[in-house]
Amino acid sequence: MSSITFDHKMAAHCESGAITALLNHAGLAVTEPLVFGISGSLFFGYFHTALFPFPTFVLRNKPGRVRAKCMPRLGVKFQSSSFRSPAAATQALDTLLARGTPVGVQVDFFYMDYVPEYARAHFNAHYIVVVGREDDAYVISDSYVPGLVTLPVARLQEARFVKGPLAPKGTLFYPRAIPPDIDLRSAVRKGIKDAAFNMLSIPIPFLGVKGIRHFARKLGDWPTFARDDEHLSHELMMINVILEERGTGGGGFRFLYASFLQQAADILDQPELAELAREMMTNGDRWRDISLFSARIGKNRDMGPNRLRELSAMLLDRAAEEERLFKRLRSAV
Amino acid sequence: MKEEEARIEDGHRLVMYVEKDDASYGPMETGSYMTHNYIDDFFEKLDHVKRESLRRLKAGEISPVAYYMILIEIGEGDLAARVGISRRRLRQHLKPEGFQKITLRELKRYADVFAVPVANMFQVIVPSKGMRVRQEKTADGVVVLTHIEKATE
Repeated sequence: MSSITFDHKMAAHCESGAITALLNHAGLAVTEPLVFGISGSLFFGYFHTALFPFPTFVLRNKPGRVRAKCMPRLGVKFQSSSFRSPAAATQALDTLLARGTPVGVQVDFFYMDYVPEYARAHFNAHYIVVVGREDDAYVISDSYVPGLVTLPVARLQEARFVKGPLAPKGTLFYPRAIPPDIDLRSAVRKGIKDAAFNMLSIPIPFLGVKGIRHFARKLGDWPTFARDDEHLSHELMMINVILEERGTGGGGFRFLYASFLQQAADILDQPELAELAREMMTNGDRWRDISLFSARIGKNRDMGPNRLRELSAMLLDRAAEEERLFKRLRSAV
Repeated sequence: MKEEEARIEDGHRLVMYVEKDDASYGPMETGSYMTHNYIDDFFEKLDHVKRESLRRLKAGEISPVAYYMILIEIGEGDLAARVGISRRRLRQHLKPEGFQKITLRELKRYADVFAVPVANMFQVIVPSKGMRVRQEKTADGVVVLTHIEKATE
């Protein structure tokens, strides 16, 4: 079996990147920011639970929601299947590839051997597109890698059937039919409302804008959770990695969201959204200041209470600004 | 962020969204800021956590399960779910005395999550300078052949 001709592109984020690539391949010219924005995926959540080895935060809604929310809003018929049996999952994947259909699959990132070992971690909701099978290996388009890569068949099967939180259960997905006329205006409005709801209205104290404030309050406790100074330094520097490099497009998805708002302004013919896009870009710059500050104090081991208070104040500023921005966005649509 | 501010030539590649010269916002491929500026610090800390965890393992302060758990940075709840046991049972396995009561089936599952042979749940192989370790799986999935070889570089 050979590979399908597939236009591989890197993307900021694995799920929106995989879905954008699949839609583009099926003939729908959408961008990654549009897919991300229509799905209303912008989010903030601060978590200190046994699932994570240290308190952490997330910047997008639950994995799988990009697909689940964006497709109905675009009217795209999208097939998603999960499996109990690894053999059946592999068979289904091979059948689709033989038909010339590139297939999105959910995997544990830990098993993506083409990524340097130091950068791999167990995360069950990584999304890739399988575009071919050559003997004992699959040909893979992964948004985080510059070119097409291969992964042994057994390794992909392992990655699709791990247990644990967000277990992939062999999940695969692909678009079945693209409608001839898509109501982008309605889809964009719903996406913006959704993101505004995520950030302003979820009545849980560690989610949305409340979550950013919660993070700011809890930061002072971080030294008590760390094994030693080296560990605290590592976790502070991880703030930079999570905001800038873990599939966000920089500034904790805010730059990507600014790009979405710029496109939304054209689609809805609303100049106010173009202004809000500029403000979101500036907001992203301030998030980037947070990530650079975290990296610097972590590297210099300059992690005393005063520095953590400074970082906390920067977070509170973001909470205030995002509360203002999302209220304006909510009323604009 | 302006395109020029994001441009980094080396480091692993990623996509950032930036403001282009024509004031439009869009993607650019660039290098990793962290890899470019702080990769040495990252590896120094990795060495530190390996040394410190090995010291605690040798001193009998932690079990091999706790040792690998620290190295791959996984939470208790996540690990317990992957192994298919309760968090209470996992916590027993984090202590050397609790580890004595572990079953082979549990060990195999832990080893799969840690991506090490089951044999490595009872040993840490420390190669001499200029040597490297290569471990080869066998058909039964438990026994492993361990080769100590000269490093090629």
